[in-house]
Amino acid sequence: MATLSIKDVRKSYGSVQVLHGVDIELEDGGFLVLLGPSGCGKSTLLNMIAGLDDTSGGDILIGGRSVVDLAPKDRNIAMVFQSYALYPTMSVERNIGFGLEMRGVDADQRKRAVDDAARLLQISHLLDRRPANLSGGQRQRVAMGRAIVRDPELFLFDEPLSNLDAKLRVEMRTEIKRLHERLGTSIVYVTHDQIEAMTLGTKVAVMKGGHIQQLADPRTIYERPANIFVASFIGSPAMNFLPGRLASSPSGVRFAANGVSVAMPAGKRQVDFDRPVILGVRPEELKAVARDEASVTGVIDVVEPTGPETMVTVQVGEQSIIARLPPRFAGRRKEPIFLAVDPASVNLFDPDSEQRIDI
Amino acid sequence: MIESKRRRRTVANIATYFVLAGLSMFCIGPMIWMLLTSLKYEADIVTQTMQYIPRRVTFDNYVAIWTQSGFPRLIGNSITVTFLTVTICVATGTLAAYAFSRFAFRGRTQLMLGYLVVRMFPAVMMIIPLYVVMRGVGLVDSRFGLALAYTSFLLPLFVWMLKGFFDSAPRELESAARIDGSTRLGAMVRIVMPLARNGLVASSVFIAIAAWNEFLFALMLTTGQGSRTWPVGLQLMVGEFQLPWGVLAAGGILSILPVVVLFAIVQRTMVQGLTAGAIKG
Repeated sequence: MATLSIKDVRKSYGSVQVLHGVDIELEDGGFLVLLGPSGCGKSTLLNMIAGLDDTSGGDILIGGRSVVDLAPKDRNIAMVFQSYALYPTMSVERNIGFGLEMRGVDADQRKRAVDDAARLLQISHLLDRRPANLSGGQRQRVAMGRAIVRDPELFLFDEPLSNLDAKLRVEMRTEIKRLHERLGTSIVYVTHDQIEAMTLGTKVAVMKGGHIQQLADPRTIYERPANIFVASFIGSPAMNFLPGRLASSPSGVRFAANGVSVAMPAGKRQVDFDRPVILGVRPEELKAVARDEASVTGVIDVVEPTGPETMVTVQVGEQSIIARLPPRFAGRRKEPIFLAVDPASVNLFDPDSEQRIDI
Repeated sequence: MIESKRRRRTVANIATYFVLAGLSMFCIGPMIWMLLTSLKYEADIVTQTMQYIPRRVTFDNYVAIWTQSGFPRLIGNSITVTFLTVTICVATGTLAAYAFSRFAFRGRTQLMLGYLVVRMFPAVMMIIPLYVVMRGVGLVDSRFGLALAYTSFLLPLFVWMLKGFFDSAPRELESAARIDGSTRLGAMVRIVMPLARNGLVASSVFIAIAAWNEFLFALMLTTGQGSRTWPVGLQLMVGEFQLPWGVLAAGGILSILPVVVLFAIVQRTMVQGLTAGAIKG
């Protein structure tokens, strides 16, 4: 168990800079998720923590000890790879025990450690098999066994679930969370799946283009995204964006657009009135109400019942938004619909900088 | 309509087999002829009417070449030179191929390309300068010198072949091994080499066969019995025995036997897919 500090870490390949001064602090026992689309630099950052890639600048500390000049084997970390990277020529038992074997742990002790890890992951019956004879989920467990058996200071996961089918992915996600809570070891986890980020992380770093867009706990990322990119990347269906203006009225500050009029909560900070802004509303914050309570008025375009809820695409002025409504919603296409928004749940963004505006 | 289509296919099949049979005759014919000749009595080889299948079979030719000439010595030299060549190639080529496969360094592409360019020069062009160099360092007429000469033109090929096999071994396996406590070299030896074992065997056999059969360098760089290899020795017998066809054929058969055996090994190992299961799939 250890803290992880990433200080102004940079990486460039030739003249191409792929990471621009990344700073992250992870508390002891924390679960850091690096989240972003392909090519955002998240895997590069993970490889640099592992020591598989060199840093071009900055420092990485594990448990207060700078590791940038250490070989991967001397960093006291363990890693689970997307492809699992099980050694095909070795049995499961030897795969799991390989790290201990390399560190000169004697056979008896090794056997005990491997057995413990196998029992924890429920793969004791597979120890004699070769990786080729395992299913995807079993390989995943073996890969995790190989990581936990060494009792490292830090676990690194590189998109460990992306090769699994949907059902197994959910199972293994729960398994990883349980494992983290049981072992208490700090984890850095790379994924492009926002659900994994939300469910697993104690801290999420949303990355894009080699920059960290926002580093916060999942709840803050979801409810108070730092910019439009984060807001649109997290959440499915994505947050609705409505361009409009902030205007003052007798009842306070309101956001106004074609078909939309939302009262803003009384803020601490003064904002410029009558300026263009973008309103961000999560689909589940919209509720179907009577006409006189409505803050958003539109026409139903598509109704998609999914079972637990109904997704309704609504045409508001020239914009199309999605509302997540109760399962028995009875509206039909072309009918008018009236929606209310909890003012406390909305976000405002600057249309030019795309950054969040605090109100 | 269907009828004519089927007939056309039959005709095409017959034509295909005809061509294949003709080519096979062309390739295997000389070897069969050599085998048959080696089993004939000298009197039955040059006859008025062609004797395809020998009426009388004898192994005298084999006994003759093994006991009455320097043939065992030639084979021994060939074995030594081939063994040395393969050893040098495996020891240096494996490391080089791994470096080419895994590291990005300045001049990597140019160096790989240079290896290919070297192969494009005909051996005849290299033989004179090579001879001068070898004489300068006193390696003419030595088995080690000959092995070095073979290495000079076989190593690039070996590196290219092996690099392909290394490329196909997943990098993540090495990353995992390095995190598990291996050094880079350790990961290569423990993880990558077992995976590329088939490729290593195949490439080595390829090198071995090339060194075993080589004639031109051997002819130029060896002068005495001490280092002469079998292709040269066999060729020189043409004068010594006034065309002893049967004995020469027996020598030829004995010389290609190791090649046939080695090829059998390559076939078996190359087919085995050891990497299955390393990566999902």
